[in-house]
Amino acid sequence: MTGKILEVTNITKTFPGVVALKNVNLDLYEKEVLALLGENGAGKSTLIKIISGVHKPDSGEISYLGKKVFFKNPTDAIKQGISTIHQELNLFEELTVAENIFVGNVQGFRFSKRRAFKVVQELLRSLKFDLKPDEKVKNLNTSEKQLVSIAKALFLNARVIIMDEPTATITEYETDRLFEIIRRLKENGVSVIFISHRLEEVYAIADRVTVLRDGELVGTKYIDDVSRDELIRMMVGRRIEEMYPKFNKPTQENVFSIENLCVGNFVRDISFNVKKGEIFGIAGLVGSGKSEIALGLFGHLPATWSKMVLNGKLLKPEKNMLKHKIVLVPEDRKQMGLILELDVVKNIILQNTDEASKALHISWRKAKDITTEEVKKYSVKLASVHQKVKTLSGGNQQKVVLAKVLRKKPNLVMLVEPTRGIDVGTKVEVYNIVNRLANDGVGVIFISSELPEILGLCDRVLVMHRGRAMGILERHEFSEERIIKLATGVEER
Amino acid sequence: MNFKVVLKKMREYPAIVGFIGVVILFSILSDRFLTLSNFVNVLRQVSMQAIIAFGMTVVIISGGIDLSVGSVFALSAAILASIVRNNSIFLGILSALLVGAAFGFFNGLIITKGRLQPFIVTLATMAIARSLTLAYMEGMPITGFPDSFRFIGAGDIAGIPVPVLIMFALLGLIFYLTKYTKFGLYAYSIGGNELAAKLSGVKVDAYKISFYVLSGLLTAASAVILTSRLNSAQPTFGVGYELDAIAAVVLGGASLSGGKGSVIGTLFGALIMGILNNGMNILNVSPFYQDAVKGIVILTAVLVERED
Repeated sequence: MTGKILEVTNITKTFPGVVALKNVNLDLYEKEVLALLGENGAGKSTLIKIISGVHKPDSGEISYLGKKVFFKNPTDAIKQGISTIHQELNLFEELTVAENIFVGNVQGFRFSKRRAFKVVQELLRSLKFDLKPDEKVKNLNTSEKQLVSIAKALFLNARVIIMDEPTATITEYETDRLFEIIRRLKENGVSVIFISHRLEEVYAIADRVTVLRDGELVGTKYIDDVSRDELIRMMVGRRIEEMYPKFNKPTQENVFSIENLCVGNFVRDISFNVKKGEIFGIAGLVGSGKSEIALGLFGHLPATWSKMVLNGKLLKPEKNMLKHKIVLVPEDRKQMGLILELDVVKNIILQNTDEASKALHISWRKAKDITTEEVKKYSVKLASVHQKVKTLSGGNQQKVVLAKVLRKKPNLVMLVEPTRGIDVGTKVEVYNIVNRLANDGVGVIFISSELPEILGLCDRVLVMHRGRAMGILERHEFSEERIIKLATGVEER
Repeated sequence: MNFKVVLKKMREYPAIVGFIGVVILFSILSDRFLTLSNFVNVLRQVSMQAIIAFGMTVVIISGGIDLSVGSVFALSAAILASIVRNNSIFLGILSALLVGAAFGFFNGLIITKGRLQPFIVTLATMAIARSLTLAYMEGMPITGFPDSFRFIGAGDIAGIPVPVLIMFALLGLIFYLTKYTKFGLYAYSIGGNELAAKLSGVKVDAYKISFYVLSGLLTAASAVILTSRLNSAQPTFGVGYELDAIAAVVLGGASLSGGKGSVIGTLFGALIMGILNNGMNILNVSPFYQDAVKGIVILTAVLVERED
C-alpha cells in the first residue's frame, strides 16, 4: 500500500422518499483490496454506483489520482480507469470473448476480428486466464464470464476494479481461483473494491474493510485489527448471539414422505421423509439436482414417484401441488419469485387472490390490509405498500416472497437458497421463521449450497451428487468435511 | 390536488398530456376544430379503433401481441353481414362475436400449448382470416340489411352516437377488468414475469388464452359497428387496423415487453390519432403527408415516455 488512489468525501444521495447515503467517506490506496460490507439496503450499491458514474451524488466529492473528478456516466469512469464488474455481468452472450473485450473500444470504423483475437489471446495469456478468445460468451459459466469482465477492465487499463458480490453465484473452488487473480491484480498495481456478504471471504482477501449501515459509514478497519463478531456487530448494529438460531423441536411423527422421486434427467430415485418439527436439509453442489427436487415436488418440473404422503394423505403427481398447500420459496427471487414492476400489495396478493376476492372481483382495500399485516409481521422496510418491489433491497424483497408464500399456512414448505444475496440480519430473521414453521407443524425442506447454514440449522441433511442421493446424515454426524465428501461423490453413505 | 400530484399523474398518463397538446394545437390552427359537433364526430370516428385497441391493451399488458385483429375484423363483418341479410340481426351479431372469440381462442391455444411467439402465431392467423374472408365473400361486398340494423352504427341516443356509447361502456368494462379483477392482476403479472406468476399458482395458459379471446371479441364488436355504419361489409375491412391499435396502446403508455399499460391511456392514444386525422383534414393537409405526421407523433411519444 502506498498513496491514496481514490477518495470519496461526504457523499450524500437521496432517492424519492429515502436517504440512501448520508455523509459517507471512503478511501482506497494503491495496491489494496478494500472490502465494502453492509446489510442489504445499507447503501453499498448506491455508493458503488456513484463511484462508477451511474448515479450523481447530491453533495460530496470524489477525488481520483489526487484530482477532484466528476464522472458524467459509467463510460467516463471506465475511460479514466475505474471499472465495475456488476453482479449481472453485462456481456453480450452471442459474441465471442474477444469481441466482448473489444466492444466499445474499437478504434476507427473497421474491426478486424483477427487482430482482436490476437490481442485478446495475448492479454489472456499474460493474465494466465484459461479462456479461448473465440469462444462465445453464452458457452461460459458465471466464473468464466467474470474473468472476461476482469480481462476487459484490464484491457481498458483499469486502476480501480470494483466487484459487486462476485462470489455470490460461483463455487468455492472458483472463488479460490478468483482470489488468486485478485492477489495478482494487486501485485500489478490495481486496487480492488470487493463487495461480499461472506465474512470468511472478507478475511481471506481484504486488506481493509469499510462498513456501511443504513446509508451511513460505521467505520473502516484494518482487517487484522477486527474480529468477526465485531464486524457483524458493526454491520447489523447489534450483537448477534447466535448466527444460527435453533429452537425447533423435532418429533418422530412424519409430516411428509416421498419414495422413488424422479425429476426429468435431474433427479433419480430419491426417497426421504420429513418429520414434524424438524428442519430437513438438502445439500449439494450447483447442478446436483437439489433445487430440481423442489421444482419437481412443486409440480413445475415433470416428476414421478411411487408414493407420496403428506399429513397422512396419499398424493399423486399433479401440475399444481399448491392446492395441497405444498409451497415453494424459489431459488431466484427476481426471476422466479416476484413481479418486479408491480407493487408490494400486488405481489403478495398474487398468490393469495382468494382471500381478497369474490369470483373475479378483487377488493384492493382488503388486499392492502392483508399486505399491511404481512409487512408488519415480517418487518419489511418500505416507504409504502404501493412501492414497486424492484425498489426494495434484496433482503426486503425476500421477505415479500416469504410473506406471499407463507400467507396461507402451508403443509410443506420448500425453501431453495432462501438466504442467497441477503444480509446477515435478514438471514437470521429467515432462520427464525424457518424454526417457527417447523414448530408449527409445517414440513420444512431447507435446500442450500451454504454449508454453514445447513450445519447450523438442519436436523438431518440429504446430500445430493449428480442427481442421486448420496446419503442422509443425522445432526450428530454433521461435519463440513463429511458433507463435502458426499457432495463431490468421493464417499457414499 | 397539488402541483406535484398533477405532475405525477401526467407522467402516469402521458397520452392525456399529448391529447391536450393536439387539442390546443388544432384549436389555434383552425376555428372549425373546437366545436361540439366536431368533437362528437372525432369520438365516433375513433370509437371503432378504440374498441379494438382496448382488447389489444390487455394482450400487450400480458406480454403478447395480436396482429390478427384487422383480418378477424373483416371475417367477423363478413359472417355478420351474410347472416343479418338472410336471417336475424341477433343471430348475426352472435355469430360475429363467436368468430372473433374463436380466432382469439385459436391464437391463445397455439401460443400457449405450442409455445410459440405471439407475433408469429397472430401473423399467420392474420393471413388465414383474411384469406377466409376473401373466399367467403368471393371478393364482393355484402349489402342489403334491414333498416333497424343501422341503429348500432349510425343511430344516436340523446344526441350521442351509439358507437360512442358502446365504446364508453366497453371502456368501463375493460377498465374494471384490468384494475379490479384477478383477470387484470394476472395480465399484469404474466406480462411482468411469467415464471413468477406461474410459480404463484396462476393458471398462465388459461388466462393467456382468455386475453386473446377478449381481443377477438372486441374486434368482432367493432366490426359489427362499422358494418352497420357503412351498411355493408367489405372484404378489405380492417386492413392495417392492427397497427393503429398497437399505436394507440403504445401512445397510451404500454410497453411492448409487457407488464405495463392502461386502457384509459389507450383511449387517449386512440383519441390523439383520431384528432390528428380530423385536424389535418380540416387543415387540408395532403393525405400524402398525414401518415408521416402520425409517425413522428408516435416516435415523440415513445421517446418522452421512455423511463430511464
